Amino acid sequence: MSSLRNILHKINKAFNRELTSSKVAKDRLKIIITQDRFDIDYDTMHGLQEELIAVLAKHFDFADNSVHVSLKNRGNSYVLVADFPHSEPPNGN
Amino acid sequence: MGKVIVVTSGKGGVGKTTSTANLGTALSLLGNMVAIVDADIGLRNLDVVMGLESRVVYTSMDVIDGRCELERALVRDKRVDGLVLLAASQKNSKDDIQPRQMKSICSRLSENYDFVLVDSPAGIENGFRNAAAGAQEGLIVTTPDVSAIRDADRITGLLQHMEIEPLNLVLNRLSPEMVRRGTMVSQKDVLSVLSLDLIGVVPEDKGVIASTNRGIPLVHTKNSEAAQAYMRIAKRLIGHQIPIPEFREKNFFSSLLQRFSRVK
Repeated sequence: MSSLRNILHKINKAFNRELTSSKVAKDRLKIIITQDRFDIDYDTMHGLQEELIAVLAKHFDFADNSVHVSLKNRGNSYVLVADFPHSEPPNGN
Repeated sequence: MGKVIVVTSGKGGVGKTTSTANLGTALSLLGNMVAIVDADIGLRNLDVVMGLESRVVYTSMDVIDGRCELERALVRDKRVDGLVLLAASQKNSKDDIQPRQMKSICSRLSENYDFVLVDSPAGIENGFRNAAAGAQEGLIVTTPDVSAIRDADRITGLLQHMEIEPLNLVLNRLSPEMVRRGTMVSQKDVLSVLSLDLIGVVPEDKGVIASTNRGIPLVHTKNSEAAQAYMRIAKRLIGHQIPIPEFREKNFFSSLLQRFSRVK
């Protein structure tokens, strides 16, 4: 049974474009570079993301796994950018 | 007064020296007076990539120690007029030179040359700091892999702190085929993580090895995509507005054509 699951997982992995190594590289880079720039560790960044999700989930609908919190460099300052893609258009428009 | 540009990357092996040699040659082929400076004291390579190793008599260390005048230490290129190399000493270490000495060499060179390209050693320590000391601008070379991109971001922060700007990104060794298969980050992905302006994308090209074997910079080769990419970067450096093309995979016929015209 577990070997069947293994095979299915491999097939799924082979066909699932979301799991390409370049996508993994890009996601890892975003986290690594954010940590480097802000000099904070992964747990702190992750905790911040979780807290933001908890607060915003009270008011908006979004998929947890689509949220991305990062720090971007704008000239001499850093900007905290939080992406919370809304699951449906506001006001149903 | 010419421009002093440091070519750097943080990580080693991403193509700093190849980029310096090709951009220096390309800029002089476009009619500029160019000096390329090897700042990798103790591990010199630029002379070999340029095919000038047998002509090196004096190095920047001899100039600093007063054993030789700056003009006399410059090695003239074999193929292009107006292109000179200042070699690095092989016997000294990166700690034998001070940032102010490097700054003085760069500023004196910029009186006579339109472009002074300084090939930085890998790392973020003294060698890099010396290389960047006299620069007004920076070219950051990276390859599409996680560690090189991370180091490029680190070096960007250090150069910004040294108030060197503009800083431009050269994305080297991109393989369009691997990007399509999802096994390499794309040009767009790299730009979404780094806060840099892209000045050019150099596609992966096996011709680079052959050109280094012979000591002839790739820009002398026709029909090489990487050579054309370096020529375009050189033109952008002198202010031409040239769009950055999307690299496509080669089809059968164009790869066949390239096979016949490639340097062996």
